[in-house]
Amino acid sequence: MKLHEYQGKEILRQFGVNVQEGKVAKTPDEVRQIARDYGQSVVVKAQVHVGGRGKAGGVKFSATPDKAYENGEKILGMDIKGLTVNKVLVTKAVDIDAGVEYYIGMIVDRNVQSFTLMASAEGGVDIEEVAAETPEKIVHYRVDPITGLRPYEARAVAIQAGFKGNLNKIADMMVKLSQAALERDAVLVEINPLFIDADGTPIALDTKFEIDDNAMYRHKDLADWREMEAEHPLEIEASKYGFAYVKLDDGNVGVLGNGAGIVMTSLDVVNRAGAKPANFLDIGGGAKAEIVYNAVKLVSKDTDVKAIFINIFGGITRADEVAKGVIQALNDGILTKPVRMRIAGTAEEEAKALLAEVNSPLIQMYPNMFDAAAEAAKEANAASAQTENK
Amino acid sequence: MGILVNKDSKVIVQGMTGREGASHSRAMKDFGTQVVAGVTPGKGGMDFEGWPIYNSVSEAKKATDANVSIIFVPPAGAADAVLEAAHAAIPLIILITEGVPTVDMMRAVQEVKMLDAQSREHGGEGIRLIGGNCPGLVTNGEAKVGIMPNKIYTKPGRIGLISRSGTLTYEAAKLLNDAGMGTSTTVGIGGDPVIGTTFADVLPMFEADEGTDAIVVIGEIGGADEEAAAEYIKHNMKKPVVAFISGRSAPAGKRMGHAGAIIMGNVGTPESKLAAFADAGVPVADTMPEIIDLVKAALNK
Repeated sequence: MKLHEYQGKEILRQFGVNVQEGKVAKTPDEVRQIARDYGQSVVVKAQVHVGGRGKAGGVKFSATPDKAYENGEKILGMDIKGLTVNKVLVTKAVDIDAGVEYYIGMIVDRNVQSFTLMASAEGGVDIEEVAAETPEKIVHYRVDPITGLRPYEARAVAIQAGFKGNLNKIADMMVKLSQAALERDAVLVEINPLFIDADGTPIALDTKFEIDDNAMYRHKDLADWREMEAEHPLEIEASKYGFAYVKLDDGNVGVLGNGAGIVMTSLDVVNRAGAKPANFLDIGGGAKAEIVYNAVKLVSKDTDVKAIFINIFGGITRADEVAKGVIQALNDGILTKPVRMRIAGTAEEEAKALLAEVNSPLIQMYPNMFDAAAEAAKEANAASAQTENK
Repeated sequence: MGILVNKDSKVIVQGMTGREGASHSRAMKDFGTQVVAGVTPGKGGMDFEGWPIYNSVSEAKKATDANVSIIFVPPAGAADAVLEAAHAAIPLIILITEGVPTVDMMRAVQEVKMLDAQSREHGGEGIRLIGGNCPGLVTNGEAKVGIMPNKIYTKPGRIGLISRSGTLTYEAAKLLNDAGMGTSTTVGIGGDPVIGTTFADVLPMFEADEGTDAIVVIGEIGGADEEAAAEYIKHNMKKPVVAFISGRSAPAGKRMGHAGAIIMGNVGTPESKLAAFADAGVPVADTMPEIIDLVKAALNK
């Protein structure tokens, strides 16, 4: 789960990280009031789950409360990469020229089977840019997941990264960052920029924080932070059914199968057949007719979908259950788009018999995934072409 | 022959009395695996369909001399179950559970590696964790310690199979089976970001196995395990290896079902994996059935 800047800062503050003061506002009036209360220049920052909000005009320095109101008016309701800004964070502005900007971050690194702490004196810019252009300017350090980062290790990393300022305070912030990452099950947590003021004191000006979905059960206090409006409506519906579902852009073939690997491969096969997958949907192992019914219902709701490709390798999953689910969807009038499916394995013959009985042109079964995908692609592309010609 | 498990493996099931644990215990028994006991804390002393249930792994090990444990414990207790087995010195631990928090896996994997090193230092056989979020292991014709459908393993053969995905493991095993080649051992290493055993850990075992002539590696987007495997193959393997990569059309930044299947920045891209395999001289199949052609070609060389 991705957190907003203000939420990430809230967690870091709980761990004792020195975070730049700020408050959330939902209206321009609130923005002005916060600026007045602070009695100094502020920065108004859009709170949306996409990168590049600064470049999109979502972060604005405001010298006066009236200017803050004006900027709040501009940013609230703004569309950034398809997401509407509903909230802004108003923070006290700092004089960037009076200090330096660094970067520190903790990221799950499968190559070292733990977190890697990254530190760079090149802060304030996208760390991926630094990684691409001057990778030598980033220090990487494996953090022991059992002990967490210890102060002496943090100091060594800070020195290696060439950090200037109060070494002990900076190292202390790194240790707290490590604690936050481990205790709050981060996938990624960054402080960027990490501002070092004229006195050498570190202040977290901005943060990115993403939490491991598998660990959400032990962070119930954060459950309210999940913002449904930030996700695709079909993804929200899928999560209610417990499906692993990802909406994909520019697709026309709905794809579903039993298992992440087989669905990933199904996307590839649809691509090779000359169409575009509209989604990733894993119904899991051992699915019963009802689950298949719900999956077909979900995919059918997607207006991008012109045909559906179902790819099942029946081990625990029974082919006849899959067929029953699809047929039920047809009978209920939910299924109006062609379904081309490959169901191999357990109870394959029973499935064939059920489908033969229904004998609908909308549902066709094929012995291998390539033929099924090719037929689904053909149907989808024909339908897409027809739509375009209208 | 084959690796890791065989007809002499004595298997305990942690979480045997749960729904998944029970059904797969039966299926493993049907396959011919020596399932000797179950462990469910609080149910010690119970008889479960003829299997004795113990409160702890160490009790079960003492009573049965088990040398493999398979874990079906729910995510919140899964890492603890791994550590219990590792501290009871079970040499091979297979974690099937999907959805274990990554931090738990980091800690468990590190501790298992430490116990493994200690065991070896003292002349023991070490401790290995496979998974989590994996389908387990099958040595064809001998034993299954996993959740694969039994009927796709009808023909023992001489092809080793390693995979990050469950369903694609089944798909590949069936293809090899139908092509008349069959498999020696199948190793599902799991789809999570932090796992106990990687491709590069399994490859040397197959290289040393007299029952295996060639190896099929089923990778997917995300991480750099395939790249590490290619590096190992390039410098160490004499037996032919054929690869397949799933998710080649997946967009960056989206998690494709498996927690580990995500392209982050320039890490985990199919291009990087294809290039690494090409550099190691490993042919990569564009489609699953092509794996068969490539294996045949490699064996005829």
